[in-house]
Amino acid sequence: MGTAKPVTTTQAVVTLAVRRRRIRWGDALAPYLFISPFILSFITLFIGPAIYSFVLSFFRYKGYGSATFLGLDNYKAIVTYHVFWTELRNTIFYWLAHVFVLMIAAFLLAVLVRSTIISRKNIYKPLIFLPNILATVATALVFQSLFGTEYGVINSLLGTKIPWLQDYGYARWVVVFLLIWHGIGWWFVIYLAGLTTINPEVEEAATVDGASGWQRLRYVTLPLMRNTFIFAFVIDAIGSFRIFNEPNVLVARGGSLANPDMAPLLNLLMSDLRSARFGSSAAVGWILFLLVLVVSYFQFRIMRGTGEEAE
Amino acid sequence: MMSAQTSAIPQKSSQRYRTERQIAVIAANVFLTIYVLLALYPLFIMFLNSFKSDSEILSNPSYLPHVWTLNSYQAIFKYHGGLWRNFVVSAIVSVTSTVVGVFLAAMAAFAFAKYTFKGRDAIFAALLATMMVPGEITIPPLYIIFSKLHWLDTYQALIIPTVTSVFGLFMLRQYMLSVPTALIEAARIDGASHWQLFWNIMVPTSAPAIGALAILHFMGVWNSYLWPLVITTKQEMQPILVVLPNMTDPIIGFLPVWGTIMAGCVLATLPIIIVFIAFQDKFMSGVVVGAVKG
Repeated sequence: MGTAKPVTTTQAVVTLAVRRRRIRWGDALAPYLFISPFILSFITLFIGPAIYSFVLSFFRYKGYGSATFLGLDNYKAIVTYHVFWTELRNTIFYWLAHVFVLMIAAFLLAVLVRSTIISRKNIYKPLIFLPNILATVATALVFQSLFGTEYGVINSLLGTKIPWLQDYGYARWVVVFLLIWHGIGWWFVIYLAGLTTINPEVEEAATVDGASGWQRLRYVTLPLMRNTFIFAFVIDAIGSFRIFNEPNVLVARGGSLANPDMAPLLNLLMSDLRSARFGSSAAVGWILFLLVLVVSYFQFRIMRGTGEEAE
Repeated sequence: MMSAQTSAIPQKSSQRYRTERQIAVIAANVFLTIYVLLALYPLFIMFLNSFKSDSEILSNPSYLPHVWTLNSYQAIFKYHGGLWRNFVVSAIVSVTSTVVGVFLAAMAAFAFAKYTFKGRDAIFAALLATMMVPGEITIPPLYIIFSKLHWLDTYQALIIPTVTSVFGLFMLRQYMLSVPTALIEAARIDGASHWQLFWNIMVPTSAPAIGALAILHFMGVWNSYLWPLVITTKQEMQPILVVLPNMTDPIIGFLPVWGTIMAGCVLATLPIIIVFIAFQDKFMSGVVVGAVKG
């Protein structure tokens, strides 16, 4: 307070203290004001409904009238329903059949594009990423016309009449192919970014020590990329358990859902919802959550474990 | 290949080494070019078939059109109850959700990145933990709530559940952490209010991350399928990507009209492709945030 205002010292001290307290109050309150719109909407739109969903999964509720408490009966009914197991098997098939090819292909593409023999990286990078920006619904529709039996592109190029989408034995693999084709660009970009964070000196040191290209990839690059790999496999697994669009748009028409022989787990949630079995529908969601949790946990353990052995 | 990859180190700079490297360069480029052409072939088919008549698609599905026609694009305006309206629905829903969602995430991210307050780390950790919970579990309760509110087939039902994104919050916070705190403290000493710190300092400096999130958020909502399928029953309130899979011949019924479907896919994809080409670096860096640092 260096200003020469005609105020007594005590007055000045008092006003300063008041103002300081006001500033501190504002300072303390500000972060809460900034987060509250997000937090409040998140609570009303996610946390609240999630709790409601959890409670609902123990009840029979048709959307009107009163709800009946069932205990674990919804869950029991689901795990003894054969369609649940068929759809779970399909979901796991879609996941395991695509994940390794997808990850290896995306990683090798990233290694190749990053290597010194490719000079025009900025041309390849967006082109490889491009298929990923298409909506899954649009890609599934394009694949539907590619794999049509009578007038499909693939059959007309091959001169065959393979019932790609009518025969579910083939159609399941078309879904897998679609997942790989659509996902590659995304993981390619992530692996490329991961590779760029590796200090080039580390790799050079390995080369000076006489490591071949393969040895360098195996013993230097792969261990350094471990966290990126864990992230990629876990996120891809979570996405795979929630798969819905690809199989349904590829084989079903007119707003109907795919046949259970093709359908993923989320179809059970949808069909329960459409027949107003809300409790059971919610229970399917929570079973899905449990599966995601278990699968992620084991992936963390296995991948952390193998990494430590290699070190 | 092997010797080519070790090029950073001066080695026996023999003639043989140079030829080997040249072969590797050519082989790698040929391989990548073929890969890119094959990977983009479905996209070419989508574009080309949207310019064929419905009958030509059946006789000539895989090559350039013999006769280029805009019939399929006209059909989008003429038939199927005016498909263009579904594009409008998609646009209104995606734009509103993006503006609100990015704004909410940016404000919260600013506080999480640049303030110390009681409960900060606990709240943030709790938010991150919810990312493990599949959003689909909220579909049954939200459906019940919205139908009791008579909100089925409304914009608010399509928009509201899509606005909050923990991923977006996380992404912006990561970026804002790297903005120097000194910048904010200096402005604070100069007497800027908390709101000014956010709006005049943090938002402009975080523009790249905010832009990247806006693109990803827009794309996510524009491309969503399951929620709009649940919450809409009338075609005029359905986003374009929910209507397209069900397009059948307006006269015969049941037969898919591939020309119209492909034209619809092109129009539904084109805005995103344009944004991608214009902002590809932002686009791809948005994908990477959180993946590498985490």
